Amino acid sequence: MPEVSVRHALEESVEEVLEKMFFIRPLGEAAAGPAPEDEFAAQLTFAGDPPGWLSLRVTARAARSIAADFLADEEEGLTEQQVGEVICELANMICGSVLSRVESGITFRLASPRMVPSSDPPAPGATVHAVDIGNGALTVTMCMGNPACQMVPESAF
Amino acid sequence: MAYRVLIVDDSPAMRAFVRRVMELSGFEVSECLEASNGEEALAVLRAQWVDSVLTDINMPGMDGEEFLRRLAADEVLRSLPVIVISTDSTANRVSRMMSLGARGYLTKPFQPEDLRQELERTLGVPRA
Repeated sequence: MPEVSVRHALEESVEEVLEKMFFIRPLGEAAAGPAPEDEFAAQLTFAGDPPGWLSLRVTARAARSIAADFLADEEEGLTEQQVGEVICELANMICGSVLSRVESGITFRLASPRMVPSSDPPAPGATVHAVDIGNGALTVTMCMGNPACQMVPESAF
Repeated sequence: MAYRVLIVDDSPAMRAFVRRVMELSGFEVSECLEASNGEEALAVLRAQWVDSVLTDINMPGMDGEEFLRRLAADEVLRSLPVIVISTDSTANRVSRMMSLGARGYLTKPFQPEDLRQELERTLGVPRA
């Protein structure tokens, strides 16, 4: 799987999902640095050819804003669980969108996304895309196409 | 005319979003029912009638594929129009779900107008 095609698909998918489903237009790329302590993170694995995993990290302030927009609710009234469910759904949509672009000839299957502790730096060979969404950064890491991606390293989450 | 719709998705956030998008799109809903997987959805459908079903594919317990199989095997429920809403837009998946009996297929991300059009098409609502 050429890294460039995964990167291109990831960039397109992040932009399209944010715009169409969350009404957010990314302001540009952000630095994908070490995870800040105050953030939400979700992760899901997928079966396909090749299998792999996707993780998504977003600063807490941005996560609450995203959840409020998605649910048409006030930020102050949202529980951690509600915010987490929206972030999981965002990860699910981005993952499915990327796989539909790069695995168009086969059927893939996504596991249910789950909230995870903030992640360490990404696994070697993973594709990382980070965008500035106005009130924080959103970082998506996608690992597929190499043996290291076939199991989610516990230490990475 | 307003319609009764059942949303089947394991994500409460996605169910809430679909409900809101239907309202935003101008599609008239008289009642919106919810289920978190195929099994729950079948229980709802055996207790009350709906005009349309919107279902995810990947769900814990009974998934969207098995849900469609069960509907197709049920003499009363097989005529229900079902629209699949999924992130998977591959031709294989779309073809598989349509062959199992889905009447429509909507890929996430989608816009409110896309959902309304698919609902109206599958319900046979005349175009204004």
